[in-house]
Amino acid sequence: MSDATTTEERITLEVTRYRPEQDERPTSQRYEVPFHKDWVVLDALNYLKDHVDGTLSYRWSCRMGICGSCGMMVNGVPKLTCAAFLRDYRPGPVRVEPLANFPVERDLVIVLDDFMEKLQAVKPWIIRDEERPLSEGEYRQTPEQRAAYEQYSMCINCMLCYAACPVYQNKEEFLGPAVLALAQRYNLDSRDQGRQQRQELVWAEEGIWDCTFVGECSVVCPKHVDPAGAIQQAKVQSMIGWYRSFLMPFGGKSERE
Amino acid sequence: MARPYPRTTSNTWWLKRWPYRIFILRELSAVFLAAYVVLLLVLVSKVHDGAKAFEDYLDVLQSPLLIAFHVVALLFMLLHTVTFFQAMPKGLPMRRGEELMPPALMIGGNYVAWLMVTVVVAAIFLV
Repeated sequence: MSDATTTEERITLEVTRYRPEQDERPTSQRYEVPFHKDWVVLDALNYLKDHVDGTLSYRWSCRMGICGSCGMMVNGVPKLTCAAFLRDYRPGPVRVEPLANFPVERDLVIVLDDFMEKLQAVKPWIIRDEERPLSEGEYRQTPEQRAAYEQYSMCINCMLCYAACPVYQNKEEFLGPAVLALAQRYNLDSRDQGRQQRQELVWAEEGIWDCTFVGECSVVCPKHVDPAGAIQQAKVQSMIGWYRSFLMPFGGKSERE
Repeated sequence: MARPYPRTTSNTWWLKRWPYRIFILRELSAVFLAAYVVLLLVLVSKVHDGAKAFEDYLDVLQSPLLIAFHVVALLFMLLHTVTFFQAMPKGLPMRRGEELMPPALMIGGNYVAWLMVTVVVAAIFLV
C-alpha cells in the first residue's frame, strides 16, 4: 500500500510567478511540497524545481548563509531562504515572493543593478593617499582598531535590508542601509584614508540624512551587521564635521583619530 | 525582450507590519509632545498673569477632554521613551578597547537615570 506517501505531511507554498514574455504582472501559484522538519524554504523551492515545475526561477548558491543570493520575502518578511525553516511556518501556507523594493526580472529573481551601482559609488575598499610599495610590508592594525569596524565587515550584500527599508521603498535615490554600513566600515578602518572621497555621497541627503531610523534593516540582517547603527553613528560624525567646518573654516579639516 | 516588473512604492507600507506601525506611532508621538509643550507654556504665562488666571487655567485643564489628552500624551511619551532607550545602543555604541558595551547595560543605565531624575523631580515638588 502507499500509506507512507498518503500520511506524509505536506505544506503549501504560495510562490510568485512572473514570466515577462507572457504575464502582465506577477501572480501567485500554489504548490504542495513534502514537509520535513529539517527543510528550509530553499529546499522546498529546489524540490519544486526538480520534481514539479522546472520553469521556476530563483537565485541561490551556497545554502549556508554566506553567499547572500537566496534572499526572498517569506510571509512578507525578508529572509535568506536557506535559513528560513519550513517548521517555523507550519502549518502554512508559506508565501514566497521576490525581495521587495526591487524590480522583478522573473519569478523570484530581482534586478539588483541599482544596489550594485550604489555599492561601487561609495568605494568600499581601502583607499590610501599614497600606496606604500609592497616591500614596506602590510598595513598593520591592532585588534582594537579591527574591532572598530569588524561588525560592519560581515555584510554579504544579500539586500534583505533594502527589502525591509520603507525609506528605500519610497525613494529609490536613497543609498540604503548596506551601502552606508559598508562606507562606514571603510571609514572606520585605521588603514583607510578615503573618508573625504566618500563624504560627498554619504553625507548627502540621499545618503545618511534620508534615514529616519526605522531600524528594520538591522532586525532582518542575517549577519548582525546593524546598518541602522552604522548610519546613526555616521550622522553624529557628519554633524560634528559640519560644525567644525562652520566654526573653523580655515582649520580642523582632518578629523581622523 | 526582457521586461522587468517595476518596483512598487506604497503609501500604506506602515500598516503592513508591527515594527512599522510602532515606528509610525513613535513619530506621531512628536505631535502630542508639541501639543503638551504648548499647554505647558500657556500654564507658565498664566502664572505670570497672577493667581486668578492660574486657578482658572487649572479648571480648564481639568476638563474631561484635556485629561483624556494628557493620558494619551503620557502613553505616547512612554512609548517614545522606551523605544528611544532601545535604540540608543545603536546610535551611540560605546566601546572599551575591543569590547562593545553590552546593549542591555546601556538600556538599563537609561532606566536607572530616568528613575533618578524622577526621584529628584518628585522630591522638589512633593516634599
